[in-house]
Amino acid sequence: MSKVIEISPTTRHEGHSKLVLKVDDQGIIERGDWLSITPVRGIEKLAIGKTAEQVPKIASRVCGICPIAHCLAGVEAMEASMGVYIPDDAYLLRVILQCANRVHSHALHNILSLPDMYIPGTDTKINPFTPEEPVRSVAKRIQRIREIAQTIGEISGGECIHPSNPRVGGMYKNLQPRAVSKVYDLAKEGVVLARDHMEFMIAVFRNYQKRDWAEVGGMKVDIPDTLGYHNQGYMAADPLYGSSSLDENPRWDPARWNETRPWDWYMGEMEITDDYPEYPIGGTTPKGAKAWPQMEACTGVPLYDGQPVEVGPRARLNVFRGYDEKGTMAQQIARSMEFPDSFYKIIECCDALNTSASVMADEVPQGDGSLGWAANEAPRGCDVHLARVLDGRVQFYSMLVPTTWNFPTCSRALTGAPWQLAEVIMRGYDPCVSCATHMIVVDEDKRLVAEKLIQ
Amino acid sequence: MVQDIFLGNYTSCVAARSTNRAILAGSQDGGIVTQLFAFALEEGIIDGAIVAGPGDEPYRPRPMVATTVAELYAARGTKYNICPNVSFIKEATRSYGLDRVGIVGTPCQMQAIRKGQLYPVGLRDVPDKIALAIGIFCMENFPYQSIVQLVEDHANTKMENVVKMDIGKGKFWVYTERGAVIQLPLKITHKYEQPGCHVCLDYVANLGDVSTGSVGTPDGWSTVFVRSKKGNDVWSKAMAAGCFETKPIEEVKPGLELVTKLATEKITKNRKTLEERASFGVAKGLRNPYI
Repeated sequence: MSKVIEISPTTRHEGHSKLVLKVDDQGIIERGDWLSITPVRGIEKLAIGKTAEQVPKIASRVCGICPIAHCLAGVEAMEASMGVYIPDDAYLLRVILQCANRVHSHALHNILSLPDMYIPGTDTKINPFTPEEPVRSVAKRIQRIREIAQTIGEISGGECIHPSNPRVGGMYKNLQPRAVSKVYDLAKEGVVLARDHMEFMIAVFRNYQKRDWAEVGGMKVDIPDTLGYHNQGYMAADPLYGSSSLDENPRWDPARWNETRPWDWYMGEMEITDDYPEYPIGGTTPKGAKAWPQMEACTGVPLYDGQPVEVGPRARLNVFRGYDEKGTMAQQIARSMEFPDSFYKIIECCDALNTSASVMADEVPQGDGSLGWAANEAPRGCDVHLARVLDGRVQFYSMLVPTTWNFPTCSRALTGAPWQLAEVIMRGYDPCVSCATHMIVVDEDKRLVAEKLIQ
Repeated sequence: MVQDIFLGNYTSCVAARSTNRAILAGSQDGGIVTQLFAFALEEGIIDGAIVAGPGDEPYRPRPMVATTVAELYAARGTKYNICPNVSFIKEATRSYGLDRVGIVGTPCQMQAIRKGQLYPVGLRDVPDKIALAIGIFCMENFPYQSIVQLVEDHANTKMENVVKMDIGKGKFWVYTERGAVIQLPLKITHKYEQPGCHVCLDYVANLGDVSTGSVGTPDGWSTVFVRSKKGNDVWSKAMAAGCFETKPIEEVKPGLELVTKLATEKITKNRKTLEERASFGVAKGLRNPYI
């Protein structure tokens, strides 16, 4: 007889989501649904009729953690629709901005995922806020890495949160030589910290992988070797930056993308049959409450080649560098490995940047209403924005954000794990839920009607 | 610390001028701002300063981030019209990559900067990077069109000919390339003033770290108020380095008396404007920006 357990809300990630888990008598998940319950942002509707300059700025407001990814994807979707080619130096500035965003976001996620982990060689869980060593110096390093990344973002993008400099057609301003050397120096400092930090994080994750058990809310739980394994594919548009429909060989294909309703994908109405008040942060949902994942999920379910796919650091490494390890810890390790890469890329870009070149395209056509898309490799994965611009006004706008892709994939990955570790698996995806919430249409019977996004 | 309702709070007040002849050659009066920024730049107290640099048209200033002494020299002298220096304060910390910014401005610009430091809305990571704010005395400002009108229509000379403009001794002075000196009574200039200036209750830049202006001292000298800890620090270092020649303000003519007189005049007059605005219109008044 299987039981139904609900963890709501899930904690230590951005946004609001919950886990509805069908578990067997041993507490192993038979089927899990992870769904967003964040209220709708409505950005895609707000965008309609606005000018192409405004929309990426509005789009960036969807979330404060990766506004840079949304802003860049938005700007490039506009450029793709309008057919604007940006100068090389503007591209370099955007890459610097992108890397800065990635580093700060990954470092922040470390703070969120560390409390699940153990100090290697001990049975002590890591509290990132403790004043005791060795955790204290790690926390300080994370802060410094974030500070470096945010300062670099501020210089190249005008702001580290909601960057003001990316414009349709390029960037607002090129950097002064002094600013480039500041970025360079910061990145040089960052590389050293990032390398140490990567090694520490990998050691911590590998240690968790080797452990037999973990303690969750007073319960001793066996860690399966296959924690977080799934058989879905991976999707990534670029190892670092992105791709758009203007590229000679676009690395994302809208024809392979399809979106279905949560109604077709998630479980139906259920009653919660078991509760655990001792589960961390307020316990699980009390017995007797109802859960209806089909109705409650606030996202669409995007499919690539008819299947949910994983996006994110592991997907990038898998697609472009042949990294084939499976599971949650492998995902975390892939994320840690992106730290130094990002800093090296910033240094490369600083060397290549010509500070006296123009960073705005000479000509910015106003758009003929054709569909353009841009995929930006946000910290959490492939963030695709699609747009149609006609005479400078946005006719259609859609955001296909990383965590939307990861919801159904992660739901699959839950199967076979003890329910107490469901949140650990979920955190492996570094969920950023607020941007993943989409408009849905409900008909008279309160059934969801899929919104057809591309005519 | 002296506290004065018209002159603000200040730790010391002196008559000063730069000891550098090159600065004095192109400065409005004592070359205080240029000299102080140049000293701060060389000493590494600031990485760069936001100053009123040359614009596209003669005597139309544009904010400029000066990171070398040569660039500071290009911005010497008063231009008597609007230069939105504060608009560069964020950019200076971004694409210019400055960590310690110096800025010069009129009393209202000093107010904007201090407000921005208190409430950094849209100025993330800027407040702690403002290393030196120098205020300049200001009775009122002119739009660029007014200056063109005054010079070309009242003083009857082309803008391109002008080598210096000055307000002093109750007159607006225009000096031309070929040596002509035209003086216009301030009665004429009044109607060309920026109306927004008539609600300002600050004459001597009470919120600057250091504030300076020509009033109160003989030609070629400036009155300097040192106000804040930061200002005092820079000023005493500059003095120790021999950047300035000073005289006690009590020993020069016309001295603080005139400064107080003009400050009182400005503030009293503008208070009246504020009162008038409060009852302007039908059953409602214009807002007093100082409340």
